[in-house]
Amino acid sequence: MAQATQPTIDMFTMVVLRRRFEAIIGDMVNALFKSGRSGVLNTAKDFTCSITDAKLQTVSAAVGLPVHASAIDLIPRAVVEKYGDDIRPGDCFANNSAYHGNTHCGDFTLCAPVFFEGKLVFHTIARAHLADMGFPTPTTYGPLARDVYEEGLLIPCVRIQRERRDVTEVIDICKANIRAPSQFYGDYLACLAAVRTGERGIEELCVRYGRETVLAFLDQYQDYAERMTVEAIRRLPAFRVEKEAFHDAVIPGAPGIPVRAILTIDPDAAMIEIDLRNNVDNLPLGINMSESTTTASCRNGVLSMLGPDIPRCTGAYRRIRLLLREGAAVGKPRFPAATSAATTNLCQVLSPLVQSLFAGVAPGLGAGFATVGNPASCAVVSGRDMRHGGRAFANQIIMGYWGGGGVHGHDGWLTNGGSGAAGVLNQASVEIVEQQQPIIVERLEVGEDSAGPGQWDGAPGALCVYRARQDEVRFTANSGGRDHPPAGIAMGRAGGFNRTWKIDTDGRKTEMPAFLDTVLQKGESLVSQACGGGGFGDPLKRDPGRVAQRLEEGWISKSHASELYGVVTSYDGERVLVDVPATEVRRASLGEDIRQ
Amino acid sequence: MSAVAISLDIGGTFTDFVVRDAEGGIETYKSSTTNGRISDGIFNGLTMIAERRGVRLSGLLGECRSFACGTTVATNAILERKTAKTALLCTEGFRDTLLIREGGKADTYNLWVDFPEPFLPRRLTFGITERMNAEGGMETPLDEAQVHAAIAQMKHWGVEAVAVSLLWSISNPAHEIRIGEIIAETWPEIPVSLGHQVHPTIREYRRTSATAIDASLKPIVYRNVNELRARLETSGFSGVLTLVTSNGGRTSIEEVMAKPVYLCMSGPSAIPHAGSEIARMERIDHGNIITVDMGGTSFDVSVTTAWQTPMHREGMIGGELFGVPSVEVLTIGAGGGSIARVDTGGFIHVGPESAGAFPGPACYGRGGQRATVTDANLVRGLIDPDGFADGQMQLSRAAAEKVIADDIGMPLGMTVAEAASLICLTIEQNMVGAIEEITVRRGVDPRDFLLVSGGSAGGLHAAAIARELGICRVIVPRAAGVLSAFGIDRGDVKFNFGQSLFTSSLGFAYERVGKVLAELEREGRAYLDRMGVPDQHRELQFTAEARYAGQVWQLSVPLARPEIRDETDLAVFIEAFHRLHETHYSVRSPEDAVEITEFNLVAIGRGEPRVESDKIAKVQSVPQPKWRRVFLKEEGGEIDLAVYDLETMPFGHTVEGPCLIQDKLTVSLVPSAAKAYVTEHHSILIDLVNPELTPATSQTAASS
Repeated sequence: MAQATQPTIDMFTMVVLRRRFEAIIGDMVNALFKSGRSGVLNTAKDFTCSITDAKLQTVSAAVGLPVHASAIDLIPRAVVEKYGDDIRPGDCFANNSAYHGNTHCGDFTLCAPVFFEGKLVFHTIARAHLADMGFPTPTTYGPLARDVYEEGLLIPCVRIQRERRDVTEVIDICKANIRAPSQFYGDYLACLAAVRTGERGIEELCVRYGRETVLAFLDQYQDYAERMTVEAIRRLPAFRVEKEAFHDAVIPGAPGIPVRAILTIDPDAAMIEIDLRNNVDNLPLGINMSESTTTASCRNGVLSMLGPDIPRCTGAYRRIRLLLREGAAVGKPRFPAATSAATTNLCQVLSPLVQSLFAGVAPGLGAGFATVGNPASCAVVSGRDMRHGGRAFANQIIMGYWGGGGVHGHDGWLTNGGSGAAGVLNQASVEIVEQQQPIIVERLEVGEDSAGPGQWDGAPGALCVYRARQDEVRFTANSGGRDHPPAGIAMGRAGGFNRTWKIDTDGRKTEMPAFLDTVLQKGESLVSQACGGGGFGDPLKRDPGRVAQRLEEGWISKSHASELYGVVTSYDGERVLVDVPATEVRRASLGEDIRQ
Repeated sequence: MSAVAISLDIGGTFTDFVVRDAEGGIETYKSSTTNGRISDGIFNGLTMIAERRGVRLSGLLGECRSFACGTTVATNAILERKTAKTALLCTEGFRDTLLIREGGKADTYNLWVDFPEPFLPRRLTFGITERMNAEGGMETPLDEAQVHAAIAQMKHWGVEAVAVSLLWSISNPAHEIRIGEIIAETWPEIPVSLGHQVHPTIREYRRTSATAIDASLKPIVYRNVNELRARLETSGFSGVLTLVTSNGGRTSIEEVMAKPVYLCMSGPSAIPHAGSEIARMERIDHGNIITVDMGGTSFDVSVTTAWQTPMHREGMIGGELFGVPSVEVLTIGAGGGSIARVDTGGFIHVGPESAGAFPGPACYGRGGQRATVTDANLVRGLIDPDGFADGQMQLSRAAAEKVIADDIGMPLGMTVAEAASLICLTIEQNMVGAIEEITVRRGVDPRDFLLVSGGSAGGLHAAAIARELGICRVIVPRAAGVLSAFGIDRGDVKFNFGQSLFTSSLGFAYERVGKVLAELEREGRAYLDRMGVPDQHRELQFTAEARYAGQVWQLSVPLARPEIRDETDLAVFIEAFHRLHETHYSVRSPEDAVEITEFNLVAIGRGEPRVESDKIAKVQSVPQPKWRRVFLKEEGGEIDLAVYDLETMPFGHTVEGPCLIQDKLTVSLVPSAAKAYVTEHHSILIDLVNPELTPATSQTAASS
């Protein structure tokens, strides 16, 4: 709690300074979005901006992806640990290393110290998912990478600017390793614009309100967030539960990779503990989680259950104790474990797992699992485009990234994507995709029966079909959910399976593995059925009118309606109508079946 | 004095009127809006105006040459889902375009929200086998039998309007046109909208959404507009009837009925123009204006830089993108009815939840049980409980004090007066955030701007907002209570035309571009002919949507002339694009190819320059303030505040802050270290002396 020596900030100043910090972060985001060059930045908005003080306390309202934002304090921690007293005004540090607090190697993170009156007072941070980071193949996710040496360029928290000028050697190394060097440099400048914009904003704030007031605000704000968290935890019962969920193995049909967590709620101490130490050792795969994504997933999972009003900042995190083991696939990686897919796959299982641990704590808590992995509709596509003189291209398409989990009172959010994105990412336009790549999108629709049934359904998964035009096109994707689709909760059912098939020009259909890397020749197509989100609650309790509506819209089949929801319907030539008495009878008998 | 022009804005609660006479003088009126038929509300108001002016309705309308109308009929129909039963024909395999939208989520951290249903349900969406590609080539021919089957089905179901939006109809509209022909042959009475005609832009969601909205509005707009025209004619009106569109201009009812999607935002779209016109009247020469309008539930902001108000194509109503060019107005949930609350951690929040007009703030005595901004202003003593809304409503200060004490004061350990001040500060901070969003984030420095404040209570917060932003000058116009109707009265005739065409600086399609620009010019001239705009008032503004190869967002590049005929013309255009890109994003890529995706035209008929006559009676005496006990935290707490009646203040009169200036419908707070000056048009001009900042009122361009 705040030290007695600091000035106490009145509520009027608190309101103003909260808004000012939000405005500064808004300016940072704007600078990055407007000047970013790669599609993941200026189309999908796959980036995050934040600020911490010298104590590494984050300010609320980091704007961006939850998996990026919630442990971003590890970045300035790495700077301070590595450089100590050798941090000077005008410095800027670059980091893409999971061993230095970064999420995964595809995320390029800049951190600039902010000095005021000669003292280091703040750090400004911008993290952006770049289109390429010098990976051996054209992607930024390498689920099959055996160790860090198969993951391209590693930037272990190095000084990239000194006295506001580029350290050209570092830039040269980056440019020499990254596929599109000029696009990289443009994206670097966009990130730099963000951290420098933040730096200027904070300096102005300190001039206007005084350094002591600004710093005291930040402390008091943490206390406020902590109070909100304490209040929320105290409303819960004492509770302990452990659970495991599975991610697909590399070989289809093989036993899955477990993700395990133990939740302990101590309302008297107002603490929540997540113990992950019982997870399997690091795997020779890129899906190992980094400390940053493990920490962020747990913080997000817990706070999502405590309510949207709690500011996502250090004060709130103080009430969440994490027990991680170094060398665990879900925990802290032990060098040289590969982590390039640390923001997807296992990460997308962990956060919903933490949420699901709350299902027994109080009625209405918990959530169905959201989609896992990047379905083939979100592949990184690369090749040459003869329509434009053989121009090379390499892009991740964010299309059909859906499948949010159902929650109490609400069906899953459709364009949710994995739990780390939580609906933030923009979905690509079919026309833009076809203009930028030599492919035809033949279909992009809700896959029938792909949503996890529940009293509140998970969101469906996308059925997406790509066809190569005159050029061959390479597709790589790190999907999941083929054998272990997103689970339901509180009697809700799992979402539909993820499947990918290639169809050759003779119409032969071949199933692709979850971690796929394939080339489509002219006229061949790729069919991606993404997994849907898990449902929440007993499907037999779903509003029969909603079931009829989904049947009418073609989201579910008639047999699904009858067998899983116990809803009997008729069709009047236009609308699907619920046969109420028959539904009651059917639901009663299905309920009996379940009890037996 | 006979009325020559009647301009009105039909809002949710009130219909605002501005009536102009032959001398240029204006009178303003407000009447209650009726639900249902819009002509009822209009005629109630007209009857009232005729009575007040001592003429008969037929006399009022018979003299009137121009009747201009802003209407929420489209906006409300969309918000309340009271549009026609509309079906969508789309490319097979893409029935969920309206469901998916474009991704993103307003509150990332809230799991407990519903994903919005699509604007048109999937059961009324028909996938048709056909396909064009990005270059306009045909991948799959149109299956006409499916179209006929869909028509039979739609007839059977009683569909009232049809939207047709196919993938890549912008690069080859043949299939959309053919479907349109089949419908016209077999079902001529059904209203149809075709995507490439309604909104010829890339991105299937944006085009399809605009087309679906357009079709769904046709029956309701036809009905209302035809009825209004008939009633006006039978009541003796023989002048020109126009409607205000999303672009802020006025246009004929024929154009609107052909593309009713342009009625989205009709009304609020005139506010930026009102701000500009007020600035011109008050002889502001730089043309840098932030116009705000604070209502009961929302706060609208727009920015005009060097007399130019930006247009955009991302306008939304209730989460639905209508897409056609609209004046950029940012709306946030902040107004007199915004509700204040304290969370469990002891932090205050105000809005976006609003008590609206019903039940309204607690002080209205209509059952409102929660503290609102209006309650806070009443508690501070800044609103007169006996004179609210021209004395039409009596307010209860006791009720306001109780809710503020219970909801805010007690949990935060503050006095009622302090809690009321905190509510106001919080809502002002929200408003400041909205203004920053469309100034600072766009590279515009608001300190160089004039703030024009509309809305009945806007004047209570305008000076505080201005100070926070470093703005030195605020105008609260006499028309503050009817800002949009005022903007409509002053508005231009204006309509948009556009065509898609993909070409690149590598292999520029001179011939096709020439053809498109010539067609647009013909369309624009024909439109201005129809609107009867004399030559000297005509203006045709051409723009091209352009980007670097590899980018996905375009910039609108103005074309000095409607032609790009040779390499020289092209070089000029490319350089203009580089410069624009640099202005927006601080970088240029001279080595990259430049791609063009669309050409657009705005055809404008400028209004006659208006001569203002000073209708205010010359007041000679020095106005004497009344004194009122108020609580102003920034003035040190409880003080006696001078309250002036604007009616008694002569042109040129200056008063020092702190004081209040009251008018029939508006009230303004002049803080200390500020002066208020009454202009010749009886606006209040507040100059804020801000020692920290240099006054910048005479600077011109805002962005550099």
